[in-house]
Amino acid sequence: MNKWYIEKGDQGDVVLSTRIRLARNLDEYPFPCRLDVDGKNKVNALIKSVLFENDANSFSYIEMKDLTRQQAVSLAERHLISPEFAAKKDGSAFVLSADEGVSIMLCEEDHIRLQVMKAGLALEEAYDIADKLDSVIDSKLKYAFDERIGYLTQCPTNLGTAMRASVMLHLPALTRCGQISRLANTVSKLGLTIRGAFGEGSHPGGDIYQISNQITLGITEETAIANLKSIVLQLVAQERAAAAETVKNPVEEDKIYRALGVLQNARLLSTDEFMELISTVRLGAARGVLDINIEKINELIVNMQPATVSVMHAGADTPSQRDAVRATAVREALA
Amino acid sequence: MLCQNCGKNEATTHIKQIINGDMAESHLCSDCASHLGYKDVFSGFGLNLSEFFGGLLGDMTPSIPGGKTLRCAKCGSSFNDIAREGKVGCAECYRTFFDKLLPSIQRIHGKIKHSGKSSTGAPESVKVESTEEKIEKLKAAMNEAVQKQEFEEAAKIRDEIKALEGGEN
Repeated sequence: MNKWYIEKGDQGDVVLSTRIRLARNLDEYPFPCRLDVDGKNKVNALIKSVLFENDANSFSYIEMKDLTRQQAVSLAERHLISPEFAAKKDGSAFVLSADEGVSIMLCEEDHIRLQVMKAGLALEEAYDIADKLDSVIDSKLKYAFDERIGYLTQCPTNLGTAMRASVMLHLPALTRCGQISRLANTVSKLGLTIRGAFGEGSHPGGDIYQISNQITLGITEETAIANLKSIVLQLVAQERAAAAETVKNPVEEDKIYRALGVLQNARLLSTDEFMELISTVRLGAARGVLDINIEKINELIVNMQPATVSVMHAGADTPSQRDAVRATAVREALA
Repeated sequence: MLCQNCGKNEATTHIKQIINGDMAESHLCSDCASHLGYKDVFSGFGLNLSEFFGGLLGDMTPSIPGGKTLRCAKCGSSFNDIAREGKVGCAECYRTFFDKLLPSIQRIHGKIKHSGKSSTGAPESVKVESTEEKIEKLKAAMNEAVQKQEFEEAAKIRDEIKALEGGEN
């Protein structure tokens, strides 16, 4: 079965993917931070049985203690689990659908972290899937819920709908013309936040950003999604306008071809260098300068992350081995 | 735990990062965290975690008279535990410490009334209305009565509101 991130999505030239995440807790049990391993296993088994009773075929159940560190980090690189969850062992497990579009972390910060991923901009569709699965669990298990403050979560920042909707955007042209911090400020006034999606810290790798809703209490799921969607569409329009101007500039056009040249010929490629170059190539492909399939580039961005390279290729355990393997894989993909 | 950078202050910011495929953990005090650039990708906007925890801590004044600590009946957390860790222990904690948590919740979200999907497993009867909510509802009913020129009814509701407000003081 094709993984979700290989599909082509709406607004796919700028929007990489959409994610909806719902946080839920069972009323009967303390939250994971106050639960020992036995308690966590009990909670996990309960939720697993409900999910598998509903649909045994499309899900697999994976315990974190059975994964190597590299496998766990690779899952985080693919955004299937959170980086915090990747470090967990006993008492933590997750449920994954065959196309990796649905993943449900059990006993992360909350008992249930249900997330649905879709290619391109697909907020309503992703929410619909998440909502239906959530209702299945809700019909069998009693959630921690309060009429006044909504779904009860370990961290009060998630109270209310406990829904985080995020969209991953590739904004190379806006980054190049220094517009991101201005946009970030504007967006924060609208109850949303933008941050780098790869390489957390000061410099967002590959000009890829994640924009998501910040407020969850007092705003319905539909309104939060509609707000986010309208801002995303504006960002998409701004990026397109800036990108159209950028590629007209002969210096920028030269950079695009040079980036492709390096990717097609390099024998060693570090993650940082790869991310920088692929971003430039993606800009060229999205604006019709280069005739390269965007989905192929998206897939490379996912598969060339360090731990994922190690998991997918034998003998790629050290950074220098990975750089060689990465260069070969990129060369073959862009030949 | 002390800050790994300065070794002086209590570490309040815990950062897990994936750097080149490996997990790195750092524990920093808020000063060092912001100094080292671990705020947001963009400074000066949004809500960062250490600020939020700090906000919760701001409410951590020892307010229990007689020295007896109120604890959640289910998970045993005291309000200080919750404030210190920035983690609420269980659903019951929210019921036990509702009034104390509410100011922080309002600071985070700006609002304190949920709207959106409701869990079907939470029966209406469990719900306990706060006095404030009751008064708000009664005021709405009173206005409606006035609109309909049912002044006797309105006066009755007004007295009820007065009684509730009196009870609050």
